[in-house]
Amino acid sequence: MHKLWAVIRREFQTRVQSKAFVISTILGPILMGFLMVMPILMSSRDSEAKRVVVIDGAGGNFGQALERGLSESRRGNGAEAKPRYEVIRIPAQGRVQAVQDSLVPLTGLARDTVHRLDGLLIATDSGVETGVVKYLGDNVGSPSDMTTLENITQGVLLTERLQRRGVDPVLVREAASGRVQLETSKVSEGRLTGESGASSFLLAYAMAFILYLALLIYGIQVMSSVLEEKSNRIMEVLASSLTPFQLMAGKVVGVGAVGLLQLGIWVGSAMLLTSNAAAIAGLFHMPPGSVTQMPLPSISPALLIVFLAFFTVGFFLFAGLYAAVGAMCNTMQEAQQASTAVTVLVATAFFSIFSLLNDPNGSLARVFSLIPFFAPIVMPVRFSLTSIPLYEVALSFAITVLGLFGVAWIAGRIYRVGILMYGKKPSLKELFHWIRTG
Amino acid sequence: MSEPILKLERVTKRFSGHVAVRELSLEVPSGGIFGLLGPNGAGKTTTLRMIMNIIVPDEGKVILFDGRKTGRGYSEQIGFLPEERGLYKKMKVVDHLAFLGETKGMKRKVAIQKAKQWLERLGLHDWTSKKVEDLSKGMQQKVQFIGTLLHDPQLVILDEPFSGLDPVNSQVMKDVVVEIARSGRTVMFSTHIMEQAEKMCDRIAIIARGEKVLDGSLTEIKRGYGKRNVALGFSNGGGRAAAAILQDRTLVSKVDDSGSTAEVELAPGAEAGRLLKALVDAGVGLVRFEVVEPSLESIFIAKVGAAAATPIASEAHHA
Repeated sequence: MHKLWAVIRREFQTRVQSKAFVISTILGPILMGFLMVMPILMSSRDSEAKRVVVIDGAGGNFGQALERGLSESRRGNGAEAKPRYEVIRIPAQGRVQAVQDSLVPLTGLARDTVHRLDGLLIATDSGVETGVVKYLGDNVGSPSDMTTLENITQGVLLTERLQRRGVDPVLVREAASGRVQLETSKVSEGRLTGESGASSFLLAYAMAFILYLALLIYGIQVMSSVLEEKSNRIMEVLASSLTPFQLMAGKVVGVGAVGLLQLGIWVGSAMLLTSNAAAIAGLFHMPPGSVTQMPLPSISPALLIVFLAFFTVGFFLFAGLYAAVGAMCNTMQEAQQASTAVTVLVATAFFSIFSLLNDPNGSLARVFSLIPFFAPIVMPVRFSLTSIPLYEVALSFAITVLGLFGVAWIAGRIYRVGILMYGKKPSLKELFHWIRTG
Repeated sequence: MSEPILKLERVTKRFSGHVAVRELSLEVPSGGIFGLLGPNGAGKTTTLRMIMNIIVPDEGKVILFDGRKTGRGYSEQIGFLPEERGLYKKMKVVDHLAFLGETKGMKRKVAIQKAKQWLERLGLHDWTSKKVEDLSKGMQQKVQFIGTLLHDPQLVILDEPFSGLDPVNSQVMKDVVVEIARSGRTVMFSTHIMEQAEKMCDRIAIIARGEKVLDGSLTEIKRGYGKRNVALGFSNGGGRAAAAILQDRTLVSKVDDSGSTAEVELAPGAEAGRLLKALVDAGVGLVRFEVVEPSLESIFIAKVGAAAATPIASEAHHA
């Protein structure tokens, strides 16, 4: 036990002290902070209202309605929201083309901000009938700008068409106001969970992604660490006083502990950043609401237990496989090739969740939950999406644990022979021989 | 002979088709220096690995100490320096030694303290907190050596310990090995350089192609071969003049001719005086004529023939 502890401690210590660990650990929160602050910087850069000219060549109220619709549009919510457009309407019945030609030279000027126009919206009768409305501007490449403009124009156009058919304008405005918004709440086991539909989806996806990345990254770290000991030729010194089990378990647990520490630091800093979002926004003289919230949906204790249990077993299972791959190879290139088989297993589990998100209780989901290599990712995701009978969770967990024992047995045998084997990579037949006799 | 600290009983190990070690029996008595000799590919490393239980013999038994546990179980009492030795490049020297001590069951604090004493003794104290990768190859080898001895093992097993060392460092390590043996502990080391073993060992075993050729105490072995060897040193050109006489099979049965010196084995019934007379009569210029104990190397070659000094090609390929 003392020896196992020494191996774990060495693995943990050298990893935590390595430059790679320090850099990637620090980089995480910096990146998150950047993601939070970036929208502020972006929005403050073009928080200026866009100057749009409505060239009004249409009969009736279409031009005026467009002018009103645009000027009522606000950026953000609440009292502090600023107008999105500064609108100028030029009546141009019969001379639309001429007005347009005269204004184009003023549009999209980079230097002359005083006379600069951002865009020309052209209101014509044919536009009302066909629904094709022309817009000329320098921001036509921005999908979000165009969507906003389309939405405003759509509403105004609808109102105009109805009015032209003689519908009461008050009635039209009433009917057109507001859009349908689904307010979703998740129900599980006959109880409201307090999660919205979006956050439950996000949670499932985020969990799958974290599991996927963690299994891959730390699994491959185990592999390269085994390889390092082999190519360093230190293995034999260790093998004379440590059992292969102590070597392998110490390595896997050591790397696992480093992984937990790193994930912990990342999650912790994400929570810290979110809870101080208002203060961070204040640094940039922006209202508190303008900061992107880190999505941290509430996680039920049951889900947390399922997540951690499957994560732990899954990590040991894949780390064992990667350790075995490391033990049977001599160079990193060789190992990368050989580890593809393992990586495909993790990737299959991860990509299956896109189908699970649609049908978390389908036959694919049920079958994958009973395969030890897929269950560690599939089960927590299913559990977060839908209600699953306890026995199904227990069965899936039991099979995964059995799988872990199987993998540990096989990997241990490959490891025992492989760590002292230099030269040619073993063929499948030789590998089988190692496992049988190891 | 005192109670053996290590016994091998008809140990055999095969690797995919070829036999690396065949029915090898050895007894290493407690105390002193034991040399395991043999040419490259003879099975020395395999034998030592089996003693350490890193690989398991296919047949036969390895009995260490009182025989209750196997090699790894006694790792607290054994220091093992394998031929394939390495260190973690990114670790500090003292941390590394502390870790090696811990793998031998030492407390970390004690291991660090011991490590510092050894580093001081081998002239590496300035490097205590440096990373292993900053050390020269010779210094790394010293660190590995310290790692082997840190826990004061009763039995020290070294696989080719002096290979790749310069004479100065080699001497430092020899002194340590001799001192360990003087303190009543046991050192077993393997080497393919016979002269080295000849100078240091109390007992030896020679193996070739996985089989034991010879074992016993060095003095007994040499006595067994009697004083039938003569070392010759020639003055300028003497070697050529002597060649005809050394070909005379009634006088000389074997010649190890090195040009200006030669070691010859007298033919059965021949006397050293007759050889000297023949040489003097032929006018050979001599600077040395000495009846000597046979060298280990000449015993080895006499015993197994020069062919066995190299492994069989097909076997070497597998190994």
